[in-house]
Amino acid sequence: MTQSPPITNAATTTAEPGASLWHDAWLRLRKNRLAIFGGAALIVISLFCLIGPACSPYTYEQQDFSQYAKAPSTQHWFGTDKLGRDQMTRIMHGGRISLGVGICATLVSLTIGVLYGALAGFIGGKTDATLMRIVDILYALPFTVFVILLMVVFGRNIVLLFAAIGAVEWLTMARIVRGQILTLKKQEFIEAAIALGLRKRRIILRHLIPNALGPIIVYTTLTIPAVMLLEAFLSFLGLGVQPPMSSWGTMIKDGAELMEEFPWLLVIPAAFFSLTLFSLNFLGDGLRDALDVRTSKD
Amino acid sequence: MFRFIAARLMQTVPVLFVVATLTFFMVRLVPGGPFDAERNVPPEIKRELEAYYGLDKPVFHQYLDYLGRLLHGDLGPSYKYANRSVNEMIAATFPVSLQLGGMALGLALIFGVTAGIIASLRPNSALDYTASSISMMGICLPTFVLGPLFILVFALNLRWVNASGWFDAADRILPAATLGIAYAASIARLTRGGMLEILNQDFIRTARAKGASSTRIILRHTLRGGLLPVVSYLGPAAAGILTGSFVIETIFQIPGLGRHFVTSAFNRDFTMVTGIVIFYAVLIVFFNLLVDIVQIWLNPKLKF
Repeated sequence: MTQSPPITNAATTTAEPGASLWHDAWLRLRKNRLAIFGGAALIVISLFCLIGPACSPYTYEQQDFSQYAKAPSTQHWFGTDKLGRDQMTRIMHGGRISLGVGICATLVSLTIGVLYGALAGFIGGKTDATLMRIVDILYALPFTVFVILLMVVFGRNIVLLFAAIGAVEWLTMARIVRGQILTLKKQEFIEAAIALGLRKRRIILRHLIPNALGPIIVYTTLTIPAVMLLEAFLSFLGLGVQPPMSSWGTMIKDGAELMEEFPWLLVIPAAFFSLTLFSLNFLGDGLRDALDVRTSKD
Repeated sequence: MFRFIAARLMQTVPVLFVVATLTFFMVRLVPGGPFDAERNVPPEIKRELEAYYGLDKPVFHQYLDYLGRLLHGDLGPSYKYANRSVNEMIAATFPVSLQLGGMALGLALIFGVTAGIIASLRPNSALDYTASSISMMGICLPTFVLGPLFILVFALNLRWVNASGWFDAADRILPAATLGIAYAASIARLTRGGMLEILNQDFIRTARAKGASSTRIILRHTLRGGLLPVVSYLGPAAAGILTGSFVIETIFQIPGLGRHFVTSAFNRDFTMVTGIVIFYAVLIVFFNLLVDIVQIWLNPKLKF
């Protein structure tokens, strides 16, 4: 998905403003207050995590034993943890990991899902039936269990973490893309492309996938929170991100152990994590309504 | 119908074979054997141990042995708990997880379907919005956030229930509610959507025109079709509750299979991990079969 999709080009070159699909979608999205709130919150949280550490007087590993597990104060806005580290800085760094794993793993699932679905839909017939049967069968398996197994086997490495998560989260994307391709395939411009003798690879990558972009964007937005959830889940069990790195998941885990005396160590990371999930889900739902993606059957 | 069930049953055979094979070989890729973690094991004793468990044989031989035993339903001995088989451990801990999961799913269905029906009757009312936003909150507050928060509020501050344990009936409430709430929320959303779709159809208008009471319309005419999305969601929900039990059982210190699985994963208890994964796969596959059958029974449009 590195090339610029023709559709966006069309949107910028259309003479009449408001005529393109994307402009319409934007107008619809703008009216959805929750989605806009979600988008804005996401931008704020991302900036906070990206720029924040540079502005903070503390580093995420710097310990101050005179400030052991202090409640939020003017000096440490989010308090300090049991090792006397500034929690706000740690939340920024944790957010980088959580969002980073979310985005990377989603990219993995996006690539697998889009290619798989596009191939199944484009080739059709027996190949399609077999490929989708495999997806159906995989749907029926307890995948989180396999991710746990993978993390045990390959030693809780962060690159493998998002590869493993991405490798199990592509199924819905494959189904959606296949459905889109099936309807697109019957349209004239694809017939024209076939008649022109374009290679299959080119038809799939240049003509089919860019036209299925709307649903792909919607489900990408909805995959990120699912992936972040899985990462935090694994980290909470101690099988995900390992110290000294920490994600919001590991911070929630550490906070839960000390919540009786120091509740802010649980509540603040949990609030950041939930707000991010909330924003992503609302933005995804808003995009889905705005781009008018049919939701009844995936 | 019978042919459909038979075909679906046949389909489970390759699935389970793939699961068994994958888990067996994946676990053997682990650097370090099951007895490496114990310190000061003399080499001869280690060899004895490995001979006892058949680990000295070629991997392929081990694999065939494993499959052979699997066909008899025998998941092998545990590496960590001397003299206990995986079957015994599952038999000892699974009933607890089953009770927890069953209660969670039951709560989710009761509250979710009720909330969904209420929301669908007055779409876009304040009530509908409240139900939707609570359900959205249920989706965004995962079990590992909600669990500790619930303990903090209900056990540590209000002291209504115990923070952990699995002894009396009151101990069941908090874990089951934590596990079920997200699914209640999703079920509410699905019920609302399903109900709205059916309520807009002509046969409902006909029923109204014939003077059927609204209770009758909902219970007799709408619910059957309106619940279809919920039924198809039950498969993924059960799988999610199953994995959710790992976290819940860890947080609330419940002696169930989920916590046991996580411990075994940490201990590199090869046979225990593969055994439990296969057990879970069988469970999920058969639950999905059940869901498919119920779906056909509810939806006369599906024919096989």
